[in-house]
Amino acid sequence: MARILIYRLFVSTIRFAAAGLALFVLLELAFCVIGGSDRHVWQAESYDPVPPELSVRPVSWAGLLEDRVGMSLPVLVICVPGILLIGYSWGVLGARLRRFHGAGLLSVPFSLFACLPGFWFVVLVAIYSCFEWKRPGFANDLVVEEGPDLLRWWHAAVVALPALAAGAAWQIRAVSAVLEREVTRPYVRGLFMAGCREDEIFYRNVVRRSLPALFALSDRPFPALVGSLVCLEYAFRYPGIASLLVESVRIGSYGGILLSSLAIAAFLSVARLFSECSARLSTPGSPIG
Amino acid sequence: MNRRQSKLLRSLARSLVRLWQRRGILFLVFSYLILLGWLCAAGSRIDLRPGEFYGIPDNPAWTRPDSGHWFGTTGNGTDLFELSRLAMATSVSLAVVAVSLGITLALLVTMLFVLDRGEKRFALPNPAAWSGFALPPFVVLVILAGGSGGSLGVTLSGLIFVIAFHLCPVLMGWFQEGENGFDVIAAYALGLSRRDIMVSRILPGILPRLIGLFATFVPAVVLIELALSFLGLSGDRLSCGAMVAYGQTLILEAPWMAVCPGLMATLVVTALSLLGWRVSAALRTGPVPRLF
Repeated sequence: MARILIYRLFVSTIRFAAAGLALFVLLELAFCVIGGSDRHVWQAESYDPVPPELSVRPVSWAGLLEDRVGMSLPVLVICVPGILLIGYSWGVLGARLRRFHGAGLLSVPFSLFACLPGFWFVVLVAIYSCFEWKRPGFANDLVVEEGPDLLRWWHAAVVALPALAAGAAWQIRAVSAVLEREVTRPYVRGLFMAGCREDEIFYRNVVRRSLPALFALSDRPFPALVGSLVCLEYAFRYPGIASLLVESVRIGSYGGILLSSLAIAAFLSVARLFSECSARLSTPGSPIG
Repeated sequence: MNRRQSKLLRSLARSLVRLWQRRGILFLVFSYLILLGWLCAAGSRIDLRPGEFYGIPDNPAWTRPDSGHWFGTTGNGTDLFELSRLAMATSVSLAVVAVSLGITLALLVTMLFVLDRGEKRFALPNPAAWSGFALPPFVVLVILAGGSGGSLGVTLSGLIFVIAFHLCPVLMGWFQEGENGFDVIAAYALGLSRRDIMVSRILPGILPRLIGLFATFVPAVVLIELALSFLGLSGDRLSCGAMVAYGQTLILEAPWMAVCPGLMATLVVTALSLLGWRVSAALRTGPVPRLF
């Protein structure tokens, strides 16, 4: 087991390094080759201290990262478990009800919600709170100075909801597709002919044998989730790590772009690491599986 | 008396039967064409700038949504419904071109590896794809569009590259799946060349699924384009995203200028998505990666 973990950690580190390298190339291509800037990514003078546009108080890059990650954490706390819980439970249910197109029906509300442009949804929430609740609508309009900061969780939920809906819809369909493919295997017919009950075949055999493939799916919605958050956080003026990317791109701050993109890449690499380890360990023949 | 039908009648009857058998697909194709036709009937004006319509003149002539103007009008009296339709036509056109070229590029790249005889022919592209997933497509597009000033050419190229990059592993998987078929194994046993097997046996099974991919990806790319223009990273081009961004500065004076373009975008994306799901299900495309 330790060997598997170390091996996967090594592979994840290499992938993260490759993503970092690709990011440097992308920055040079976008800003210097196409954009015509004379500030190259390899020059030390291209990396200024934190510009005042990115932080209201003087802070170092590490401090800025800490602030922004701290703000994005509640959003991820809502999104990630939400996607996994809804995606897996409803996906398994959808595959169980496959004769009635369960996966399609269960994912429809989420899929339809995902058709809304997320930035428009958060602007609508801001307009609604402005007119109906008579208070500023965007996340940076009002700061709670005393007592528990429940407003922060409200803001995080507004940002998280559109991203969660799109991720959950995809996960339900993907989980269901894996299980429905497994159900077509010959052993399922054999068990049925041998007299096993349908729910017993499904939950004790099909789901159990699909566990590695199901675990491998666990990180797939996250790249698109983070992509959505880049737009949503900026639209709702929520000062998270994803909105830092847009703010940095707009003012051409290489430090901000690298900081936010590498933080995103690190999150995705860790998610992939967990997904691969769990898939590997649940495979029959592995130390645990 | 000759009771046999003429050749023309027989072929006509056969064609009608075939059309009836494919009525589901035809219905979807017609719906798609009607939607695109309705959008493009507004014309194509790429020179329009949202700033021209969303400025506040000295005597604003905006009106609330009513029976005459479903979406209301802008400060200079322009009908917002027609403006939104024009904006969506531009976004959908961009998405259609980007997805078509992206799928073509992905197929060409995949064929390079698929025609290789080696056992480890996917050893290079697969790890590259897994590493690439650490950078989400939208992050790549934001950096590319933001750094280059958001020109149309760069946005389009970026979209094509991102689509091709994320599709290549899917297409390679489909080819690998196709290679395990009994007919392919029989074709190898009969001595057909690898190129013949790929081109005449496996590729014809994959091509219809590409239409499903196209239909599934178009709404996602429309959403990406809207998001980029909302962030102000796709230049000063008319787009519903940019209209919502300009409109949110007028929330108190004219909230419909932010609400209505978004409503039009939602309706068009929902229609495209519903059609995409049906086309994808009809052609058994299977799960596809999420771009946004």
